[in-house]
Amino acid sequence: MDELLNEFLTETNESLATLDTELVRFERDSSDTRILGNIFRLMHTIKGTCGFLGLPRLESVAHAGENVLGKFRDGDLPVTPDAVTLILRCIDHIRLLLVELGAAGREPEGDDGPLIGELNAMASGEPVAVPPADAAAAHAIAAPIFEEDGFPVAAELLAEVAEALGPQVAAQPVSPQRSQPQPAAELPRQVAEAARDNNAKEPDQAASSIRVNVDVIENLMTLISEIVLTRNQLMQIQRNLKSDAFKVPLQRLSHITSELQDGVTRMRMQPIGNAWAKLPRIVRDLCVESGKKIDLVQRGADTELDRQVLEMIKDPLTHMVRNSADHGVEDPVTRRDAGKPETGTILLEACHEGGHIFIRIADDGRGLDADRIRQKALANGLATEAEIAAMSEKQVLQFIFQPGFSTAEKVTSVSGRGVGMDVVRTNIERIGGAIEMDSRPGEGTTFLIKIPLTLAIVSALILEAGGERFALPQINVVELVRAGSRSGARIETIRDAAVLRLRERLLPLVSLRTVLELGPDEVDRDRFVLVMEVGAFKFGIIVDRVFDAEEIVVKPVAPILRGNPFYAGNTILGDGSVIMILDPGGLSALAGQAHSNNDGLQVAGSVAGRDESEASLLLFRAGGPELKAVMLDAILRIEEIDAGAIEQVGGRHVVQYRQKLMPLMMVNGDQRLVETGRQPLLVFCDNGQPLGLVVDEVVDIVQNHISLELAPRQDGLLGSAIVAGKATDLVDIRHYIEYGRDNWIRDEERPRLAAGGRHG
Amino acid sequence: MADRTCLVVDDSAPIRRVVSGMFLDLGYAVAEAPTGKDALDYCRAGQPDIVMLDWNMPVMDGIGCLTALRSMPLPRQPVVVMCTTESQIARIQQALSAGADEYIIKPFGRDVLVDKLEQLGMA
Repeated sequence: MDELLNEFLTETNESLATLDTELVRFERDSSDTRILGNIFRLMHTIKGTCGFLGLPRLESVAHAGENVLGKFRDGDLPVTPDAVTLILRCIDHIRLLLVELGAAGREPEGDDGPLIGELNAMASGEPVAVPPADAAAAHAIAAPIFEEDGFPVAAELLAEVAEALGPQVAAQPVSPQRSQPQPAAELPRQVAEAARDNNAKEPDQAASSIRVNVDVIENLMTLISEIVLTRNQLMQIQRNLKSDAFKVPLQRLSHITSELQDGVTRMRMQPIGNAWAKLPRIVRDLCVESGKKIDLVQRGADTELDRQVLEMIKDPLTHMVRNSADHGVEDPVTRRDAGKPETGTILLEACHEGGHIFIRIADDGRGLDADRIRQKALANGLATEAEIAAMSEKQVLQFIFQPGFSTAEKVTSVSGRGVGMDVVRTNIERIGGAIEMDSRPGEGTTFLIKIPLTLAIVSALILEAGGERFALPQINVVELVRAGSRSGARIETIRDAAVLRLRERLLPLVSLRTVLELGPDEVDRDRFVLVMEVGAFKFGIIVDRVFDAEEIVVKPVAPILRGNPFYAGNTILGDGSVIMILDPGGLSALAGQAHSNNDGLQVAGSVAGRDESEASLLLFRAGGPELKAVMLDAILRIEEIDAGAIEQVGGRHVVQYRQKLMPLMMVNGDQRLVETGRQPLLVFCDNGQPLGLVVDEVVDIVQNHISLELAPRQDGLLGSAIVAGKATDLVDIRHYIEYGRDNWIRDEERPRLAAGGRHG
Repeated sequence: MADRTCLVVDDSAPIRRVVSGMFLDLGYAVAEAPTGKDALDYCRAGQPDIVMLDWNMPVMDGIGCLTALRSMPLPRQPVVVMCTTESQIARIQQALSAGADEYIIKPFGRDVLVDKLEQLGMA
């Protein structure tokens, strides 16, 4: 019986979800008899099933709901928002009863009288559009069913028939004559026929699909994973074997395994529309409550993704659509005044692209209000006034992703349920996804979410550090750099912070050996740097060796290691050994500035990165004992050149650098070039023209909140700040670049500096 | 006597299971179908003796299924019992005209079912 109850709960919950969606559709187009036919049938089935299972409470609620729907169908009751709201409440009530039924295994005690009373009142209410004669007829039908004491629900009938009255009676009361010919009876028949005709045209889906328990598929997936592992093992053996005897069957096995894996992965796929099913209802309720008019447009609802991923994004998506409806779209009056159509639009769009799913949530509402966000951030202590003043508009908007942030002045019953955009972002990043936002005042806000298709089997690089092997999900790996004496790339270690000079950038590094305490770094041998991209943040991981890319099966991390942020799980390799899967997210946090904006998105960011709230700073000394700092972002490279290579041209210092003449600049007049040995330089770039800033000593790289404490005392300084507990002059690179340009570069056609930046 | 076969047609899985249970107790072999379309497919191949046919179903409803079934060139037409609810009494006539042998009102218990089957000579 328990299994039967489970089946009932699953089926009925699905029906209720469909009912929600269909009702909202129906409310919009109440002339669509096909939708109404479907709605009626679903409610009817729920009622019928409850009857069979002996669930009188559920049955009577469903029965009352069905009757109102019947009145809709028969044209006896106009389809008003109130009426639809009442039906939706009825559905909610059924859902509530189902939850209690599921928990307790039997129907809870309670009284559904008030709701049933309302439904019945609605059903027997004076029909608006029907002529008096028909109205009387409608009453005649309704009266015996509803206005007598109690409800002749089927369960009671069953009890009577089965226990007391015997066979004859069971047959008698339902003889055809009792269904007296009613004037209204013609209409339902027509509707029913129309509905049937439409039904016949529906694509035949039921016949070609079956329902399978999720556990069965999960189990299958585990087994497939084992086959994948065994195949990998066999391939390894074959590789070491002198003979080719197994080659052909192995290839075949490999092929079949891949197809199996594809097949089962596809089996786990569900259309993203499943996660959207509740949204029309949520938006509809919000519209009714707030008097807004909103169209929810769904595109690509059949885009499929792994159900595990689907579960993870369900809540974030719901929250974001709710946000758009609640905070984004304005009320009709405001919209009309702004010259926009009264009905706002929220677009939900999903598509596949290269192993990822892209989801776009766009509204045409008021856009984010940067001023209000500033105030809010200030009020909530998320940043100081100075920090906020230094931020670009785009960075200010990013505050909505901070914990505990909400711009809604009043919390409506629809939004403000405790989760914010910070939770949304955390959830999305947890499954290896990323979220971006774009907002224009008066035009609306767009969120773009990128998530992986599946989490179960991932392509990973197998690598080694300190004699241990690890797997690293390939999705985050941008490139692989060999760093050592024989290659161009070199790992610089400045105090404890390691950076890689890679083309135009300095890349923060973490060493796997150090992080996982696998022993000291072997600085003098060739190492590899895996350049990673997590969200918008790029960093490098130093490893000893890199083997191969392999399809690995992700097994959950053991409980004892769950607190460790560096591991995402473990897997079994082809040779049978168990290795850990590294979590790029955890490592990126360690590499610092997990969420800084050092990517190319910062259009407005100046060369000096003036408006970074938190940034990596390079500390150095030049022309004096006091510390100076410069944004790490602004530096192309740290170079050391031979003192002898510095030449003088027209009284100024230059050095040959990458087939170009690079001007050298002093930080101030007190500074001297070294006379022998090596001269450290910071290399900047102005539209492809390298410029060298002479420094005495590079001290450290630190992660710091920049808050200028003192105004600049001289040209070339942004001001002074406390960095790592010491007063530090913040050097304005822009000044030196402009100085260099004025003195060295005569090309007046050169584009403005702001557009130049880090390009080379 | 060889086992009789019953085909239970209903879009609700719990109902199918309950009804199937009753028929199994009565010594029937039982098949189930969630839609009228599936029911027709089964009848074409499976030769059931009796069909318990629900009215409200997606894809193809009970009356559509019944009409199509009766026009199928089968060696032996099954007995069809139309399952309806009290609110559909008006349609029973329609079902009988379309070729149903009996009707039964949902929900029904084992006793009512046995009575119906006795009337049909199929208990």
